[in-house]
Amino acid sequence: MKGFLLRLAAKLAAGLTMVFTVATFTFFLVHALPGNPGDAAYEGYVLGGMPPELARAKVAVVYGFTSHEPLVDQYLGYLGQLLHGNLGVSISYSGVPVTDVIRAAVPWTVLPVLSGLLLSFLVGCTAGVVAAVRRNSRSGGLLSLSGSLMAGVPSFVLALLLAFLFHTLWNVLPYGDTSDVTIAPGFTAEYLGSVATHAVLPVATYALLGYGSWLLTMKSSVASVLGDDFILAAELRGIAPATRMRYIGRNAVLPLFTTLALSVGHMFAGSVLIEDVFDYPGLGNLLLKSIGNRDYPLMGGAFLLITVTIVVANILAELLYSVIDPRVRR
Amino acid sequence: MKNARRAALPLAAALLLGGTAACSPGAGSSDSAGGGTFTTIDGNHPISAGAPMNPFNAAGNTFLGYDTMQLGFTKKNPQDPNDFFPGLARSWKTTDTSITVELEPDAKWSDGTPVTVEDVRASMAIALTQGSATVGAGLLTQGLDVAEVEETAPHTYEISQVPGAKNIQFPRLVLTQKIVPASVYGSLLPADVWDVIHASQSADPARADAAKAAVDRLGEIGKKVSAFAPAKDVSAGPFVITRVNPGSAVLDRNPHFFAADKIGPKQVVVRNYTGNEQIWSYMTNGELDAAPFTAIPDNVLQRILKAGNQRVDAINYVDAAIAFNQGVAPFDKVEVRQALAHVIDREAVTKVGQPVGGTPSKATTGLIDKVAEKWLTPEQQAGLDPYRHDEAKAAELLQRAGLTKKDGTWHLPDGTPWTITLQTVNGFSDWIAGGTVVANQLTAFGIPTKTALTADFSTYKKEMADGKYPVGFWLTALGPGTDAAFQRLYGADDGFTAIGATVTHKSGRGSGNWLNTPASFTLDGATVNPGELTAKLTVLEPEEQKEIVQQLALLSNQQVPVIQIWDYTNVQFVNDKRFTDFPKSGQDGLLSNSPGVWMMQGYVQPKKK
Repeated sequence: MKGFLLRLAAKLAAGLTMVFTVATFTFFLVHALPGNPGDAAYEGYVLGGMPPELARAKVAVVYGFTSHEPLVDQYLGYLGQLLHGNLGVSISYSGVPVTDVIRAAVPWTVLPVLSGLLLSFLVGCTAGVVAAVRRNSRSGGLLSLSGSLMAGVPSFVLALLLAFLFHTLWNVLPYGDTSDVTIAPGFTAEYLGSVATHAVLPVATYALLGYGSWLLTMKSSVASVLGDDFILAAELRGIAPATRMRYIGRNAVLPLFTTLALSVGHMFAGSVLIEDVFDYPGLGNLLLKSIGNRDYPLMGGAFLLITVTIVVANILAELLYSVIDPRVRR
Repeated sequence: MKNARRAALPLAAALLLGGTAACSPGAGSSDSAGGGTFTTIDGNHPISAGAPMNPFNAAGNTFLGYDTMQLGFTKKNPQDPNDFFPGLARSWKTTDTSITVELEPDAKWSDGTPVTVEDVRASMAIALTQGSATVGAGLLTQGLDVAEVEETAPHTYEISQVPGAKNIQFPRLVLTQKIVPASVYGSLLPADVWDVIHASQSADPARADAAKAAVDRLGEIGKKVSAFAPAKDVSAGPFVITRVNPGSAVLDRNPHFFAADKIGPKQVVVRNYTGNEQIWSYMTNGELDAAPFTAIPDNVLQRILKAGNQRVDAINYVDAAIAFNQGVAPFDKVEVRQALAHVIDREAVTKVGQPVGGTPSKATTGLIDKVAEKWLTPEQQAGLDPYRHDEAKAAELLQRAGLTKKDGTWHLPDGTPWTITLQTVNGFSDWIAGGTVVANQLTAFGIPTKTALTADFSTYKKEMADGKYPVGFWLTALGPGTDAAFQRLYGADDGFTAIGATVTHKSGRGSGNWLNTPASFTLDGATVNPGELTAKLTVLEPEEQKEIVQQLALLSNQQVPVIQIWDYTNVQFVNDKRFTDFPKSGQDGLLSNSPGVWMMQGYVQPKKK
């Protein structure tokens, strides 16, 4: 237990260092972007018929939430606020706290990412076992081929393809929102069904993207376990095939748990492209909008949250692995 | 379609962590409410998840003409800035110093309380906290500059301008302010807000510090107003927001709206959008009853029309142009700019760049063609140089500017080969496509030209302001007012600044925007300062503007600070599957407003089954 706590403390310290580094890096990076938050708005006001002087004055008020202090002072202030869990106020949202804006977006990234990840893990691993056991048959070959294909497709290509097929061409699935806005939110079948329908395309994209790598990794892992002595011994002792499969599966899936935790972080980062294609209003979509709007606090907050997710996922992966595989603890 | 959607539901449910097994159809916009739900996209206003229902918030989820009301809605009449559709104001009268507004006597908020003078007064005060006022009223004021709001008779209010100010836009500015309930927003304003406003309006140099302090204080109040998040929408428009999702909003008919009998739809759903493709996709599926203008290629147009959408065209007071940094040689020479105008075949460029929503510009005047026709005499129009595609003329002009052609390519007077980089912006598909054609035409003429893409519009503006682009695409000829159009060529971005009654010019050769225009020209033997002339347009009545507009148009045609390529057309789409009685092409004033304003005028009625 003491060893576990020590490892946990070390991981947390490393994680905090990582978060601090990323927070520092992103702070200066986002401020180095050319342009400023009011530029696009100014053009919009002028194109809408507002005299330029008024447009400038309006931008100064409505987007006037930018600090004009020296960058280093801003950075120190930012770190100080960060220690109190305060990410500042959004510029493009005219002073709404960044935490409020992010809070509205986070569920719509967490839900599809976790659903897609779980689905891809379950289907991919199961298919991987089948592909390994039947590696010399046609079905095994086809499964392996499907895994290789899916592992090689870029996320945005897959997302665009699904959007085109299921919305533009056949119009069987909606996109562009989290649910039908005419249905009142609540724990009702109608609302949950609407949420589920709207999440199908992003979830399917995450699931299909992960499927290939899970399948191939699981196939490889099962193939190596199949050659282990204990499997031969089990076979010789006449243990039922279903039980043998359970032995194989449990031993083969072990290394995949680490990857599973790491994948959470990767999928969070990948949400930027996928949410953009489906206009799904999660954290990735918010991050893109904040970059376009040069909303530095919002950009910093979204980057930071994605970073923290990846760091936490890494720590969990390592701790999980040490729990499920005692050899790591030695 | 419905069956297919139902079939997808169990799959969806299974995907979501053991979600529900039985679900109803999800997206109801196209099928719901028996034609009672009007689905659209607000082209000026995407939905912002987490933003408040506050019209003063930059990302606020409110919708002009649906829930958010003004006293009137502009018809964008280029020769009468005060031509309006009635909003909360039934009628209005203007004088040199004020506007008297008669409110709709039955105007009520969605909570059933009447719209009163307190609401108008609070709304004007809020408007003045939002950067709408001119600091230190003077000859060249452009601001709202409200001095008082006084009730002169039941439902009638006089809104007066600051003494000494003369802004022909004052009535327009008053009528287009958002009117919000004092019961919701009034508490954000300090009791002495009008004292602060009056202090900020002082033109007395002795009280300049107090004015500055008052302006700062107004700015602070303005920020508080912008960040405010009302618990619910209280509106005086035909609809009131019921719910805002992260990607759409639903508004239900406001039973207290003063002209509720005119409003056809029972409900409005406003969808989010992130790009043109999304809007095209919704239209192709027949999901939108009305769609805003988007740049659109011809094949997509055919697909959209085939899906049962109808195109409605209206005037659009904006033009795509190629602009020059006149601080960079050889673009400082007028002959060079004129030569390039002769090389570029605008018709061919428009055909590729904006085949659906663009018309090749007839001539560069600083105005779109339809506006220029209204201001210039037939003789003046005939005298404009259209810069027809004429390579021989272009070659002659370049030679006159000292350039030479060797081995098929043009060389600068110092002998170095002349190449051009034409800048466009990522995401502006029409500029990118048009820019490629321009580059090919110039290259074929002997000026090797490549296009370059800037990552996004913010970067484009920043780098443009830093003078990094010698040649690039830009939007000009803004309107409907001629002052806005010429501000684009001879305004603040060109170094012309109006302070009080004086226009100063900051010389910015080599720095600043590409529209780096000199401060004086000779036109018909007289010296003219385009910055001064442009600034004067803001204080002259339309009939007094004519001579200046003509001078500036002729000057722009002669000097070619930009080459106008195409005038945009406001191409919108409507779908009469569920509703009928939409505005028709040519109803420019109506089509420049949101469908909510159409509905207030009695348009958009449910289709009889």
